[in-house]
Amino acid sequence: MRSIRTYLLLALLAIITLVTFVSLLKGYQSSIEKAQQLFDDRLKNIAGIIANANQDTQPRTAGVFELSPGVFFQIWSDDFMLLAHSNNAPLIQLFDIDNDSPFNDINFSGYRWRSYTLQDTTLNRWIIVGERDDIRYTLAENVVLASIIPIVLAIPVAALIIWVAIGLGLKPLRELSEQLNNKQADDLSPVVMRETPKELTQLVTTTNALLDRLNAAFLREQQFSTDAAHELRTPISALKVQVHNLQTAHKFNDQEIESLALGIDRMGHVIEQILALYRHSPDQPLMKLTPLDLCAISQHVIAKHYDQIALKQQQISMVGEEKCLIKGNKFALETLLDNVILNASKYTPDSSEIRIGIFQNNQSVKLVIEDSGPGVEEHDYDRVFERFYRGKGDQHDSGTVGCGLGLAIVKHIVSIHHATISLDRCADLGGLKIVITFPK
Amino acid sequence: MLINAVIIVLREVLEASLIMSLFLAYSQHVTVSRLWLLLGIVLGGLFAWAYAAHISTFSNWFDGVGQEVINAGLQLAIYFILLGFITQALIGVSKPIQRITLISLMVLGIVLASIREGTEIVLFITGFSAAPDLLQAVLIGSSIGAGIGMSVGVCIYYLLVTMTFKNSVRLGYVLTLLIAAAMISQVVQQLIQADWIISQYPLWDTSNWINERSLVGQLLYALIGYEATPTPIQVSAYFSAIAMIVFVSFYQLSRHTK
Repeated sequence: MRSIRTYLLLALLAIITLVTFVSLLKGYQSSIEKAQQLFDDRLKNIAGIIANANQDTQPRTAGVFELSPGVFFQIWSDDFMLLAHSNNAPLIQLFDIDNDSPFNDINFSGYRWRSYTLQDTTLNRWIIVGERDDIRYTLAENVVLASIIPIVLAIPVAALIIWVAIGLGLKPLRELSEQLNNKQADDLSPVVMRETPKELTQLVTTTNALLDRLNAAFLREQQFSTDAAHELRTPISALKVQVHNLQTAHKFNDQEIESLALGIDRMGHVIEQILALYRHSPDQPLMKLTPLDLCAISQHVIAKHYDQIALKQQQISMVGEEKCLIKGNKFALETLLDNVILNASKYTPDSSEIRIGIFQNNQSVKLVIEDSGPGVEEHDYDRVFERFYRGKGDQHDSGTVGCGLGLAIVKHIVSIHHATISLDRCADLGGLKIVITFPK
Repeated sequence: MLINAVIIVLREVLEASLIMSLFLAYSQHVTVSRLWLLLGIVLGGLFAWAYAAHISTFSNWFDGVGQEVINAGLQLAIYFILLGFITQALIGVSKPIQRITLISLMVLGIVLASIREGTEIVLFITGFSAAPDLLQAVLIGSSIGAGIGMSVGVCIYYLLVTMTFKNSVRLGYVLTLLIAAAMISQVVQQLIQADWIISQYPLWDTSNWINERSLVGQLLYALIGYEATPTPIQVSAYFSAIAMIVFVSFYQLSRHTK
């Protein structure tokens, strides 16, 4: 069933039409039969009137009675001599006058006639009166049709009224559907209807209970994320301090202590990235988007990481607009830029070049990050957004701390901002080119 | 005259609407676009109009029995389309080629049914254009006949689509068998009228039970090819048509499942 409204309209209309038209046909047949009875009664009366008005017992020598073409009469003597007749009547007997049936159907002059035979016992005569069948039938049909036409014409009107009535009946369902459709992603408030019909009560109650449980689950997860961040960062920071103390107090500087320090750094990085990945999941309904200047955020992030970039003697530059407003979340956008800029720095060799470009037109703002590093193989363009995927697998030769979550986080943030991301090879620098297009 | 118009238009519309209901219901179940229905009706309507406009030319074919022979040809073609349709419906339409075959069969079926039934209606109504006294009764009777025919079609369509797919295919199979066999019975009747098949004494006469010209009689005529006075050749053609569909469809189905 594609549409409840169409189904109800067609099903109701079909049933109404079927029942009405079949009843109409039954009514038509009964009315026609009734009309024929009335016409037969009229024939009887006409025969009676003729019997009283005409006293002929001998055949008329001159003068016939002029009648309309649809009616005739004959007067026969007891010994079957034609005493009188109308102008259009046949001059012969068309059936056995003295048969048992007073009503007979006969054919003459190219028509079928209904006749009535009256025996005038006072003057020993037979009076036969007839009417053309087709005229009787047409007359009866016209009378019956006058009552049928309005009913037939009422069907399209009924269709229109049913269409409107079903529309009104389905209004609460439409209202509920619109409410759910118009809900913002972060709106988990219950559905409130002006008047909830009995049929929708269960649906509304269940939907509201689901929204309520979903909201509670999100709040619980948010709390968990905050607690986990705090509970995991503290011991890692303590471990870092302990390693540093170990190195300085005991003057150890061998390979094992270095590996331990690197392992702790890596663990800290993985935890930060997992928390970031969770916080920026597109399923998170609680993220607010406000107008922000992308250029200012980019400058801030470049400044934040400038020391780390300078350490590798890398050149970083920013080109394009000076101010560019988009609707976004400051924390999420900073995380996005952290990841793409640090990735560019990490995976390009010393003394390489990184270029951040921000350009805008009427519809969109483009953030372009290019570098002169080795880039990413084209067949890996889709896979690099997968969680824990690192190009060249475990043999990654950058030697940098990473866990393969950076671009997965970036993709989540892009999705939250209804933006798009694409990878390409940078034509002039030769490395990776990331283009993120934000809607305005 | 109203009753005559009801009977003639009901007989034609009912046949076409039953075929359309079957096709539409199956399309709904296997999510095939229903735009083809519109295409089939428009094409069928145009051909029906053209056929009716030149009916005197066509009638003179085959020594003056052209109309009967063409009608028999159309109904025979509809029978084979129904045979193809039900076989394809049983096998399923998982492959693109199967979908295209099914859609083509359905479009062709709708076009032929529209030509066959549409021509009869056009000829019947235009025949009264010279008798304005009767035209009103004919038009009202035609509307009632068309209304009843389409309503039965809509009811059968919704009965089929609201059932489970399995039950819908079962009921659809039985309906297709009966409608297809009714087509063959009519083919024989048309060829008897054309004197291409020798007329015989009827096997039985059930007109006292169900008159062919009653509403129930017409409904049964369209649905199962009811005849109050069928000839032996009509009866044998009817059951042979059923046997052929059963044999071909199950042979194809068993071949496909292997």
